[in-house]
Amino acid sequence: MSSLAAATKPRRGSLERREARQGFMFVSPWIIGFLVFTAGPLLFSLYASFTNYDITSQMDWIGTRNYRNMFYHDPLFWKSLKNTLFYVAFSVPLTTIGSLLLAVALNQKIPGMRYFRTVFYLPAVLSGVAVYILWSMLLTPGTGLVNVALSWVGIEGPAWLQDPNWTKPAIVLMKLWGVGGGMLLYLASLQGVPEQLYEAAELDGAGTFRRFWHITVPMITPVLFFELVTHIIGGFQIFQEGYVMSPDMNSPGSPMNSLLFFNLHMYLKAFKTFDMGYAMAMAWFLFFIVIILTIINMVLSKFWVHYEGGDNR
Amino acid sequence: MKKVKKTGLLLMSVALGATTLLSACGKSDTAAPSNSPEGSVKPKEKVELDFWTFWGSETRRPIIEKIIDDFNKSQDRIVVKHTYYPFGDIWTKELAAVAAGNPPDVIVNDINATPQRASKNQNTNLSKYLAKDNIKDRFFPELWSTVLYKNEAYALPFNTDTRVMFYNKKQFKEVGLDPEKFPNTWAELEEAAKKLDKKNGDKYERIGYAPQYAGFDWGSIAMNFDKGINWFDKDGKPVINDQAHLDAMNYVLSFTNRIGQKNLDAFKADFGSKQANPFIAGKVSIWPDVGTFYTQIRDYGQGMEFGVAPIPEKEQGSGHWSVGGGFVLEIPKGAKHPDESWEFMKYMTDKSAQLYWAQKNFDNVANKDVSNDPELSKDPVYKMLVDNMKVTKVFPVPLNAPDFQKLVDPQRDAAMLGKTPPKEALDKAQKDVENLIQQNTK
Repeated sequence: MSSLAAATKPRRGSLERREARQGFMFVSPWIIGFLVFTAGPLLFSLYASFTNYDITSQMDWIGTRNYRNMFYHDPLFWKSLKNTLFYVAFSVPLTTIGSLLLAVALNQKIPGMRYFRTVFYLPAVLSGVAVYILWSMLLTPGTGLVNVALSWVGIEGPAWLQDPNWTKPAIVLMKLWGVGGGMLLYLASLQGVPEQLYEAAELDGAGTFRRFWHITVPMITPVLFFELVTHIIGGFQIFQEGYVMSPDMNSPGSPMNSLLFFNLHMYLKAFKTFDMGYAMAMAWFLFFIVIILTIINMVLSKFWVHYEGGDNR
Repeated sequence: MKKVKKTGLLLMSVALGATTLLSACGKSDTAAPSNSPEGSVKPKEKVELDFWTFWGSETRRPIIEKIIDDFNKSQDRIVVKHTYYPFGDIWTKELAAVAAGNPPDVIVNDINATPQRASKNQNTNLSKYLAKDNIKDRFFPELWSTVLYKNEAYALPFNTDTRVMFYNKKQFKEVGLDPEKFPNTWAELEEAAKKLDKKNGDKYERIGYAPQYAGFDWGSIAMNFDKGINWFDKDGKPVINDQAHLDAMNYVLSFTNRIGQKNLDAFKADFGSKQANPFIAGKVSIWPDVGTFYTQIRDYGQGMEFGVAPIPEKEQGSGHWSVGGGFVLEIPKGAKHPDESWEFMKYMTDKSAQLYWAQKNFDNVANKDVSNDPELSKDPVYKMLVDNMKVTKVFPVPLNAPDFQKLVDPQRDAAMLGKTPPKEALDKAQKDVENLIQQNTK
């Protein structure tokens, strides 16, 4: 079908209309899928958050009671929200800076670089429960590799997952292991920074740091921005780590509920006590937090994100 | 040109549509071939039941499938099909299936949450069937009372467990303790534990006993101290901060203070499973665990000399209270063939199936007579476990505070880590749970 090579001058209107119709026909499977499997459940859960829905026996309208309970009567709601906020506040900047620095380091042109890039990227491929169990071992007080390594330099490591003050820092530390994913994106955008900019700056006498700060960083801001937004959204969704890494298997989120993240609390409400309506109210609350943060990010991005080809977007 | 384009499009969309259709119809269900001899006509319609379990391990799967097979051969109307789902998924899947109105016919579920599921309309009331075949006396009374919601049964107990003390006789002898006489009270246990400790400088090579290890933690000890009452009294009022529970906490803390939290953690770091299990490896001399732990000792302990004893008591006569759990069989709400499901559940809790399960798994079963079967009782360990059922309590989830544990656990952690004085911690837990109940009964 060499139809696309048509060079005839068609009558604009009808052709566009027909193309639009055909376009819609092609995307209709996706649109129908979206309505049935995404938008529908979304609206259902919004409605359910105002009911006492428990999946199997009841669904009566109770107005804003779930939301009121959340704010005024559930001590674990605030506890879990604080846990999640703590995680986001520390993990996002650390992983962002970590993966950026790693990308810069791996962007040097020396032999064997490809090997290092692969090695650093590998942990990002692995994920899930196996990695968490591995890290639980590494973080064992006394014999775990982390504390053993610390003892070589004369630091007595904390009890990590056993000590409520150190559980979340332990998770943040563990997450740094996966910086390879972000590193890959930064690496790609670093490769795209034109060489002549550096050469020009060098001629003007800019040192390494100034070149990095005034050329490299502005040139990769779009990727930085993208990473920041997705990390914040992803950070708020932390769940499995608290579920798997609690030292007391019968009490997800232990010790002292220091690993009871927002989504873990929500999951336990939904599937252990069947307070599905309440869990959906929590989910929508989280959605609003994330959407507000994302909007703030978008607005702020005008001031620091630099797109090539002007700022007319 | 335009024509070509149009036909091309048409062809493409037809092709696309056809493939989706085809892939959707590809898995048409072919009826199960009847295995009747020489095509004799069956007068009755066959009913196929879908039975969900999480018994997919190499040991358990053949056992359950053999029982199912026996049932299928025992009659010619009901055919049970076994579906395995992993432990973490099975009940969430079932919940979704019940909500969608397409549940399995029978499922294995957690005994403690049976009344909770009943209150949420997730399982089927069995009163109608029990009126016809009253099989209630098959089961241990403690288990039976656990499956009741508003005095009506919603499940049949299948298997159960109880916690006992395993102890290393050789090490008892080594430090001059009588290997045939396990400490009767918690105070005596502590004395024995001190004797059994083995230190090299300030490092522990062996810890006689620590309540922080294995399967009988402060919560269970508190229940034992309180003559079998755990967190709620007879009327369902929370009694988290009563004196016995506080005493239990101080008992556990006395070990923390003597051995040191750091030492406890460091020692625990080397705990593994199978040969590396601390009891089997000789690192810990006294080890509370469920009865099936015996099979671990048998398979990996290379003939180690061990004894089993009931959980100690607080003082002479206060009771060797232990805690148990187990699994039930139930008919999810909305199952299509409840009558046939009942027949199968009746078979599963009857003598032959229960006996086979008990023998092959060395598991405690819910059927009383089978538990006391002379063949099984020949094994002294098994007999002891069955006798222990008399002092074993099962604690169903309290309906007005199903997630109260999330409020007790952090206070327990705070007290155990020395961050809050025990009394204060328990008072706080008590208040939190009272608030929760108040919230839920509004």
